[in-house]
Amino acid sequence: MVKKKCVAMLLAGGQGSRLHSLTSDLAKPAVPFGGKYRIIDFTLSNCTNSGIDTVGVLTQYQPLVLNSYIGIGSAWDLDRRNGGVTVLPPYTEASEVKWYSGTANAIYHNMKYIEQYDPEYVLVLSGDHIYKMDYSKMLDYHIQNEAEATISVVEVPWDEAHRFGIMNTNSSYEILEFDEKPSEPRSNLASMGIYIFNWKALKEFLEVDNVNEDSSHDFGKDLIPLFLNEDKRLMAYPFEGYWKDVGTVKSLWEANMDLLEENPGLNLFDHSWRIYSRNPNQPPQYLSPTAKVQESLINEGCFIEGNVQTSVIFQGVTIGEGALVEEAVIMPDAIIGENAVIKRAIVPTCLTVPNGITIEPEEGSDDIILVTEEMIEKLRKDVTA
Amino acid sequence: MSRLLGVIDATNVINGLQDLSLNRSVASIPFAGRYRFIDFILSNMVNSGVDSIAIFPKHQYRSLMDHIGSGKNWDLDRKKDGLFFFPPYFEPNENSTVGSFARFEQHLDYFKRSHQDYVFIANSYVITNIDIEEALAEHLIHDHDITELVNHSQSLDMYILKKSLLIDLIEDRKNSQFISVADVVTQPLHNYKIGSYQHNGYTATMDSIEAYYRHSMKLLDASVWNQLFPTDRPVFTKVKDEPPTRYSTDAIVTNSMVANGAVIKGKVDASIISRAVKIGKGSHVTNCIVMQKSQIGEGCTLEHVILDKDVRVLDGVTLKGSPDKPLVLRKGTVREMAVSM
Repeated sequence: MVKKKCVAMLLAGGQGSRLHSLTSDLAKPAVPFGGKYRIIDFTLSNCTNSGIDTVGVLTQYQPLVLNSYIGIGSAWDLDRRNGGVTVLPPYTEASEVKWYSGTANAIYHNMKYIEQYDPEYVLVLSGDHIYKMDYSKMLDYHIQNEAEATISVVEVPWDEAHRFGIMNTNSSYEILEFDEKPSEPRSNLASMGIYIFNWKALKEFLEVDNVNEDSSHDFGKDLIPLFLNEDKRLMAYPFEGYWKDVGTVKSLWEANMDLLEENPGLNLFDHSWRIYSRNPNQPPQYLSPTAKVQESLINEGCFIEGNVQTSVIFQGVTIGEGALVEEAVIMPDAIIGENAVIKRAIVPTCLTVPNGITIEPEEGSDDIILVTEEMIEKLRKDVTA
Repeated sequence: MSRLLGVIDATNVINGLQDLSLNRSVASIPFAGRYRFIDFILSNMVNSGVDSIAIFPKHQYRSLMDHIGSGKNWDLDRKKDGLFFFPPYFEPNENSTVGSFARFEQHLDYFKRSHQDYVFIANSYVITNIDIEEALAEHLIHDHDITELVNHSQSLDMYILKKSLLIDLIEDRKNSQFISVADVVTQPLHNYKIGSYQHNGYTATMDSIEAYYRHSMKLLDASVWNQLFPTDRPVFTKVKDEPPTRYSTDAIVTNSMVANGAVIKGKVDASIISRAVKIGKGSHVTNCIVMQKSQIGEGCTLEHVILDKDVRVLDGVTLKGSPDKPLVLRKGTVREMAVSM
């Protein structure tokens, strides 16, 4: 193998249990987002756009959809002769099955993959976040600061800081302490789950961590404290720009709605930083004489006869005449029947909402409804009763 | 494995389409918002299981090559068979009809080396969705020498014949004076058995700007749409990675086909909008075809206009063609003044 300067390891095994039925049969990185993408498209496109061409994708939870989606990586230009994308599921060794017991443990089990490329640096990424970032700039920063590890951080509102892994730094962004979800945060610099390590140091600490029986083998909880205890130089890399963890139904909905702003924080229309995805290859969308579409994103293959306001509509969706879709996210190939009403909701892939059914949150509630088969069944009974 | 070799004779010049083919071959004229003419016949062949496809382009094939690339988007980047591109060593003098022997002769090796027994010869200007296997089955049952594909008694300029016969016709062309397969089919004085296969699906023969405009507008009719884009026989094209189309709070779009990556802030009715088109606030676009990356400013009025790629219409400009004679704005032009026809 030809030596690589930097290899990326993308953690894509997350279950995303707070996304409920959306992740019942696929991993969180495979959840649809933004009218045409899956969450992992953002990290994979960032790699390609940053010139990183060797990416190991670590899968564990419900990997079928994710594996077939990634394929050999052609959609992201990652089908490369040397490097490219490699899906790394857990595997068995002579005596045991090596399930990934934590984020660091997942990397530990794939050290042989990394060693093949004899890299100077390893970039550890999570496939759970929506953002655009040039990793090559972060790597330059890491090298200039002669750090052993660099962690990308983003400023979060102080009242939300307790939900994040917080970095306490000095004025030149050198990390002094790491607080995992502190009740009284002393900084609002939250870890984005993006790490660059000197491979030599990471390898050494992964081995130390692996034999520690008290460790949960997690980057934030175990590895970073280990680096700090050994007085290694850790830098925070301040990131400015849109970054969102879409861990809940509400945050997933919000991130979709963010795209509809006049000047969205995440610009999907920037040709110099395209977000690549597997193309569904469908004809253009058709808007009928009765259609009305405003403040919305609509993807190819849709057939729209109803009224769509402030919504994100994925490929292959049908919206019947007289239907009203408002502040909603309609995932691929869903069907919204005639005169149905969907407000502040997410309709999952391939679901059919029958004619005349109304789904909206109670008056005054700021809940977001995740529509399910059971919900439709119940509403249908109520209509006929 | 298909017994058919697919051949696309894209050498024909169509004078009526000159405005749209100044800088490109007819095969790569954009159609239906995100496709090029050639996507349809190429997808027909792929969907019918044809593994080996040869394209014979005319001059100015840069845009065609750029579009087709390795054939990956049609699943034709194969080790065995796949896509073959045969530019001319020199352009023969005569302007041939479909199935040009002079052009095929330059690459006779391809025909001789291929293991398939039959050849399906098509052109690049007839757009339809057809099952070629079915046509081959008919050809075999009736034991014709050449089967011509027709739609309501009008020729599709597509033919099926035995490969050995094609090679004989090519090698004997100086003696026989036949210039193409189409030529053999239309001339009465020979002993070949010519049959026909009736294809009933929607068929668009693009022989003039008026036909192009008429067939484009027909796409807004759901029954035509379903015949050209049946879900089990998809039309493949080059992937562009455009985001979904964005409609602003002021957008009013009805009875239109819109491709990805467009940003629409104005009023659009009965139009075909291609990828990455921008339509400004207060503009009215009616009965128009707007091709890739064209930009229409604010407060414009456009009726019966075809905007080729990369056209810019500046703020406040009015452009009007007529239903029978649409106004065509050539690729890359900038419009600052009103035009009415």
